Amino acid sequence: MSDGPLIVQSDKTLLLEVDHPRADECRKAIAPFAELERAPEHVHTYRVTPLALWNARAAGHDAEQVVDALIGFSRYPVPHALLVDVAETMARYGRLRLEKHPIHGLVLTSVDRAVLEEVLRSKKIQPLVGERLGADSVAVHPSERGNIKQTLLKLGWPAEDLAGYVDGEHHPIDLREEGWTLRPYQREAADAFWHGGSGVVVLPCGAGKTIVGAAAMAHARATTLILVTNTVSAHQWKQELLRRTTLTEDEIGEYTGTKKEIRPVTIATYQVMTTRRQGTYRHLELFDARDWGLVVYDEVHLLPAPIFRMTADLQARRRIGLTATLVREDGREGDVFSLIGPKRYDAPWKEMENQGYIAPAECVEVRVTLGDDERLAYAMAESDERYRFCSTTPAKTRVTEALVRRHADEQVLVIGQYIDQLDELGEHLNAPVIKGETKIKERERLFQAFRDKEIRVLVVSKVANFSIDLPEAAVAIQVSGTFGSRQEEAQRLGRVLRPKADGGGARFYSVVSRDTVDQEFAAHRQRFLAEQGYAYHIIDADDVGEEDPAR
Amino acid sequence: MRKMTGTDFGEWLRGRSDERLRALVAARPELVTPVPAHIDGLAARACSPSAIGRALDRLDRFSLSVLETLVLRPGPADRETLLALLARAVPGGSDGSGGSVGEALGPALDAALDLLATRALIYGPEDALRPAPGVAEALDPPAALGPPVAEVFRHHPPERLDVLLRDIDPAYKGGGPAVARLAALLADPATVARLVGEVSPQARAALDELVWGPASGRLPNARRDVDAASAQSPIEQLLARGLLGATGEETVALPREVALVLRDGRVHRDLSPGPPALEGPVRDQDLADRTAAGQAFAFVRTVEELCEVWSVDPPGVLRAGGLAVRDLRRTAQLLDLPEWAAGLVVEVAHAAGLVAVGEGDWLPTGGYDGWRIKATEDRWAVLADAWATMERAPGLIGERDDRDRPLNALHPDLRRPGAAQMRARTLAVLESAPPGLAPTPESVLARLAWEQPRRRPALRDRLVRFALREAEHIGVTGLGVPSSHGRSVARGDGGAAGLLAPLLPQAVDHVLLQADLTAVAPGPLTTDLGRRLALMADVESKGGATVYRFSEQSIRRALDAGHSAGDLLAMLERHSATPVPQPLAYLVGDVARRHGRIRVGVASAYIRCDDPALLDEVLADKRAHLLRLRRLAPTVLASKTSRAALVDSLRAMGYAPVAESLEGDVVVARADARRTEGRLAARVTAAAAPDPETVTAAVRAMRAGDSRRRPVEAPGGEVPRSPATATISALQEAIRQGSRVWIGYLDSQGHATSRILEPARMEGGYLTAYDETRATVHRFALHRITGIGEIGG
Repeated sequence: MSDGPLIVQSDKTLLLEVDHPRADECRKAIAPFAELERAPEHVHTYRVTPLALWNARAAGHDAEQVVDALIGFSRYPVPHALLVDVAETMARYGRLRLEKHPIHGLVLTSVDRAVLEEVLRSKKIQPLVGERLGADSVAVHPSERGNIKQTLLKLGWPAEDLAGYVDGEHHPIDLREEGWTLRPYQREAADAFWHGGSGVVVLPCGAGKTIVGAAAMAHARATTLILVTNTVSAHQWKQELLRRTTLTEDEIGEYTGTKKEIRPVTIATYQVMTTRRQGTYRHLELFDARDWGLVVYDEVHLLPAPIFRMTADLQARRRIGLTATLVREDGREGDVFSLIGPKRYDAPWKEMENQGYIAPAECVEVRVTLGDDERLAYAMAESDERYRFCSTTPAKTRVTEALVRRHADEQVLVIGQYIDQLDELGEHLNAPVIKGETKIKERERLFQAFRDKEIRVLVVSKVANFSIDLPEAAVAIQVSGTFGSRQEEAQRLGRVLRPKADGGGARFYSVVSRDTVDQEFAAHRQRFLAEQGYAYHIIDADDVGEEDPAR
Repeated sequence: MRKMTGTDFGEWLRGRSDERLRALVAARPELVTPVPAHIDGLAARACSPSAIGRALDRLDRFSLSVLETLVLRPGPADRETLLALLARAVPGGSDGSGGSVGEALGPALDAALDLLATRALIYGPEDALRPAPGVAEALDPPAALGPPVAEVFRHHPPERLDVLLRDIDPAYKGGGPAVARLAALLADPATVARLVGEVSPQARAALDELVWGPASGRLPNARRDVDAASAQSPIEQLLARGLLGATGEETVALPREVALVLRDGRVHRDLSPGPPALEGPVRDQDLADRTAAGQAFAFVRTVEELCEVWSVDPPGVLRAGGLAVRDLRRTAQLLDLPEWAAGLVVEVAHAAGLVAVGEGDWLPTGGYDGWRIKATEDRWAVLADAWATMERAPGLIGERDDRDRPLNALHPDLRRPGAAQMRARTLAVLESAPPGLAPTPESVLARLAWEQPRRRPALRDRLVRFALREAEHIGVTGLGVPSSHGRSVARGDGGAAGLLAPLLPQAVDHVLLQADLTAVAPGPLTTDLGRRLALMADVESKGGATVYRFSEQSIRRALDAGHSAGDLLAMLERHSATPVPQPLAYLVGDVARRHGRIRVGVASAYIRCDDPALLDEVLADKRAHLLRLRRLAPTVLASKTSRAALVDSLRAMGYAPVAESLEGDVVVARADARRTEGRLAARVTAAAAPDPETVTAAVRAMRAGDSRRRPVEAPGGEVPRSPATATISALQEAIRQGSRVWIGYLDSQGHATSRILEPARMEGGYLTAYDETRATVHRFALHRITGIGEIGG
């Protein structure tokens, strides 16, 4: 019996014991073909999916390597059925290829005639292909390059896209490594992307994905369209590009709700791109506005459906996707694979943590108990009022005060959803409040003061963190706020909670009302954060006064 | 030449040693069911068409070829003649230089002759071997040859034969027995060569196709009048020369003599003295063992999962029996298996007696509970044995039968006679594979076809392929290589569990607790720990390890089962390799804090009264004890007695109660896991050889029959007579020595008979003895025994 660090489960998840001496070696071996699903403290869970296996194939791994890795590191015998499944799934990638053709432009060729016949019989494929050019190839309408890849993937025969890319409009972009250098993994990621042509780079939160994007742009040296989730990240991208590259303010345009600049490097938000008026997308022309040489997709796992459709038409341009996870809540991982590209780089998460590039924040959930009167009122409240009621209990204000007192010498950010509550908190804490109605000038002044540590505590509303660049803080206290998706929340936390200069992690408190819907939301958050490897504690409000009860 | 008769064969058989007879009976058990009275009976039965057919079915290709060669010889043959004949058919054997195949031929022939003689398919002295009576008929046509000339042309009108002979034989002047003359001509190589030389190349090509069989073909208007001059088509050219003959209105055949000439003296084409080698990729045997063990582990778990699911949510039994397609599909989804594999799991569980029909549902049996607590390797051995011997073809699930009805899992129609035997033979072939070889299905099929070329049960190839696929899924093979525990299953030596055990994950007694509220058991848990964890957490993922997830509900479940928060935490601490994460401890505490604050009970009826004093009175009444009253509040009593009974009792106690409506009455019932007694699924013991005792007894009985017949026939073979005292003492002596005696006995009608007995016991005026002439144990009245004699020669 071997004593490997890996346990292969029958549902195709792989459990990696991280404290095992061979864990690092094993992680390197399985990372190409398995997606990290959960990373709590002792046992990490990877999942082997068809997409992950095809990613591995695209990266040049073959079934034998995968099987060897599974058998070699597995503690227990690996069920044969699983090995067969792996081999069969991997063999499906690359049987079909999209290639350039001097006369027909784009052709679909196959080394396996039966497969070609099978897919050509599909009703979904028929409208996408043209003339049959022989036993092993068929012409494809160049405009359907993305659609056919999507459809083939759904049929289970993902095509390898070897048709190449257009260069796009040349534009000089260089990295300006002054006072900083590209981290080794960032360089590797950018190189891996460039050699692969198009694809996705997976890096954990806080690992500097923007810089990988910048390095990719320096490779392409061409006009670039950057698609980001929201205005905050648009700002951040711009700041980062100005700081890290030779690009100047004039060369970078923002295409957001308020500004519509089209420049050699243009940063657009998903929101703007997916805005519809009278049933049509108003800003589609942006894709054709310039001869883009590179399209960058930030947070690929949040890419909205309309963007996918637009991307299907952009298959001749180089595309790089950046993300912390390939897992999508809507299950459209397949579209990422076929339209953006296969995974080109996966970061050694644990290693980066060991080298101090990232530091997980520590999360503390503080539970407050509602008073008897409040509980009765809560039980009688309408269901749509319940959340507001329980999340704005006065008890939270008291706890927040105590927390702020405890972190008396650190920069503290208090985040909430309800303005009344925030105003009250501002009053109690004697801190300025930034909310939707706060003027931009005033916001920027306050943020600058916060960064300069003139103000120690800042109360911000949820609205605020969409429109302005939220500064980094050592301590964040969230008093209210429901969340769209777990990933969205992790993104936000990741942005707020950067490792501090001294290398220590940040603290994130959420104040939660016990036995209410507030606690249910918190349970989701707890699971997600713990799975992401953040330390998580739960304490009672009464314990807040004590000296660091979490430790 | 002496005419062969059944008597010759009988005499030869009688001359065989007891040992050889035992070997015969062991190899052809059908000859002794029932046991023939004597050797002649055995001989007669051994020559019956059905018995010979069965014996031939068991022959491998080479032995069959030897027998066919012998049958085609006109008279008896010796070994050397056969060797020469066979050597021509073996590639590389005919040149006499003796290639490796040629060298192997001699020993192979000896082995084959010994086998054929043992099975009484040939007989006679070594220099004059003959096929046993009936063999030639059973083998007809041998070696894919057509009928002999005499038969082909028997029904041709004399004028046709006349034309034919004139065309063939320049010397023919008419007259004489035409068919015999034709036969002589067509058996002559020179004549055949001349005739073949006369026909067109197309005709020769047609001839070549028929030479190695099948020797007949269809031809419309086969009985046409043709002669060499008028022959048009290639076939007509052949017909005109007797190289083909019409055997029916629309069939023509190549006469046997012609074929043998064209076969160039060979009876068979590429004859191989040994079985074809198994082919396939070679892999590391250890790796294969481990992989197979992994699959075996997964299979056992799957069966367990199936039974667990079915014990709370059993699928119904179809009216015609079996499991609905929909239920199978659901089961497949649940087990995360393709449907064929789910069908296999269900069928094996059934064959192993773990699930059966109960109350219209498919339910786990009581046997499942016994199976579940065994060690994994033993559980696997039970499943593997059940699979190996089940007379059903799970591979057919989902297909449609002759009447186009779907074949459902667990349906009686899935029974396929011969399935178990085919599986057993496939396993035997796998067992014979050298270590590390993963035999391809084709080579397994080729081997099976060589071993029993005449036996082609319906679906043979498919059953073999099913067996190979299932073997892999069950973990008998790994990476296609027969595993060591799988080989043991094939041998049926009961050592499979022992070989499998060291390859399986060892039970662990700890888990890893994590802050995301999961616990990972890095191996199968010890039973006790497994049960406790299953109580307080939900299983999220199974395999080599088990991932459990703690949730409010699961913790509450554990608290409901009577554990306290302290118990649970202490248990976790004791069995965790790492400290208990704070969120988990908090969760346990938090759930416990709220647990049990609201209490729910069961009551059938209540008594309500505004005057507490009156209720005090009721409670104090001794007669009220039987009503099982409980005071919930000063003015309310709850009772488990029914409302009607309560009212009656209170009236009897002298009160005047009034029944209230049943509103608010709570009945809590929890459906328990269900079980059925279910008969153990019928197990088919593979058509195994009869056990040695049976064989010995059978031979003894037949010999006894012979001995009886012979003394009777012998002159002076009179019923023995001796004085009663001498008889008794002689019987006692025989009992002591265990020897046989010949007695005279008056039967119930008063006829004098004689018996050969092996006396066993004498008491109460009766002798208990084994009656060899009737092959039964019988009681004989001592006073009717007329005398005793020695067993004559």
